Amino acid sequence: MAKKVLNVEDDADTRTFVSTVLEENGYLPIMAMDGEEGMKKVKKERPDLIILDILMPRESGIKMYHELKLDPNLKDIPVAMLSGVSKRTFLRSQAALTEFGDETVPEPQAYLEKPVEPEDLAETVKKILG
Amino acid sequence: MKISKILFVSEFEELWLDALQSLMGLRKAGMNNVVFLHVISKDKVAMRRGAGYLKQEERKLKEIADIRFIDWAETLFEEGMEVVAHIAIGNIVPKILSVTEIEKVDLIVTARLKRAKFEELYAGSETSELLRRADKPVLIYNYLSQSGKVGENPFERLLLGLDWSVSSEKVLDYVLALRGATKRVDIVHVMSEKDVAKISKMEAQKLERNNKKRLDEVCDVLVNEKFDARPHLYIGKVEDQIQKAASEHRTTMIVVGAKRRSIWKEKWSGSAAHSLADTSELPVLIVPTEVK
Repeated sequence: MAKKVLNVEDDADTRTFVSTVLEENGYLPIMAMDGEEGMKKVKKERPDLIILDILMPRESGIKMYHELKLDPNLKDIPVAMLSGVSKRTFLRSQAALTEFGDETVPEPQAYLEKPVEPEDLAETVKKILG
Repeated sequence: MKISKILFVSEFEELWLDALQSLMGLRKAGMNNVVFLHVISKDKVAMRRGAGYLKQEERKLKEIADIRFIDWAETLFEEGMEVVAHIAIGNIVPKILSVTEIEKVDLIVTARLKRAKFEELYAGSETSELLRRADKPVLIYNYLSQSGKVGENPFERLLLGLDWSVSSEKVLDYVLALRGATKRVDIVHVMSEKDVAKISKMEAQKLERNNKKRLDEVCDVLVNEKFDARPHLYIGKVEDQIQKAASEHRTTMIVVGAKRRSIWKEKWSGSAAHSLADTSELPVLIVPTEVK
């Protein structure tokens, strides 16, 4: 059975791009349009990997990532960030959340800055899921 | 009442990152969440004869907005804030109202919104439309000069304009929620010159005494909550006197209440709040009577 990959992304063009790459490489794509919907889909679908954008409506990828990693039932699901926000900012924001009282969370399995080439995305997914 | 989530509406020509950063004083009042909204006017991408819907133009404008928002969001994320963004196509006021509802924001921040002159004649300004329809407080925020200067902390010295209506009570509640972000509150009531002219000297003095008493009561409420507050009574035309008081007391923001009224009532009888929103150089925070 194909492995499930959840893509949390508000931009329709990027969702289509990621979905196409995933399907062409034998994975089953699941889509969510923001962090709030993403969390619901994670709990319902238990994906094998999450590809996560950051700046979206309703809930950002920064918050969703933090929530995932602090949830004992979900923290082991690997996450690949795919965003226009730089990795440096992502790491600083996670550190800032820790300063404001949250626990420290581990770094994501991969960090891809937009735009990403289809081969690079496919390779990253393969590397994580095997 | 709390202010934890603000909606920052930007068309990029009127409000920039420094305006947003100047609002960070609100963090002391519990603000930890910013929602960005950029609305691309339908006219910019609408159907053109021979060209159809300008999809490529839409992509370009969305990309520009996305790049700008990412840059702003990076600054806020690094400070531990939650940031979300909406980029929409359509009419600005309905989009502001819909995102306000979706994101459940506590405060809408926008620059003065303008319509074409002809449209303004019969429909009023978009700012007026927003104030008429919004059920959340709206901060009309403009750069103080053409060079784009903003006050460092607009919430620092408030001028609280009270007319003793129901909306006045809501405004006071809202100001109380700003504790931490605000140092000084000057409470102002303006007696109408026309009303005073109609009554005897004795009645005018009674009215004055009554207004002073009510101002003192409000002042006590604020002082009890650790605000530095002072009462002031003015006489004359409301919007003129409020602007005068603002300049006398080195105000950084004017705060007034407003009833939600129909477009025709607004057009013919006007309101001090809308007039201040349209003309004041200082930021104006307008709290609607029906705050949800």
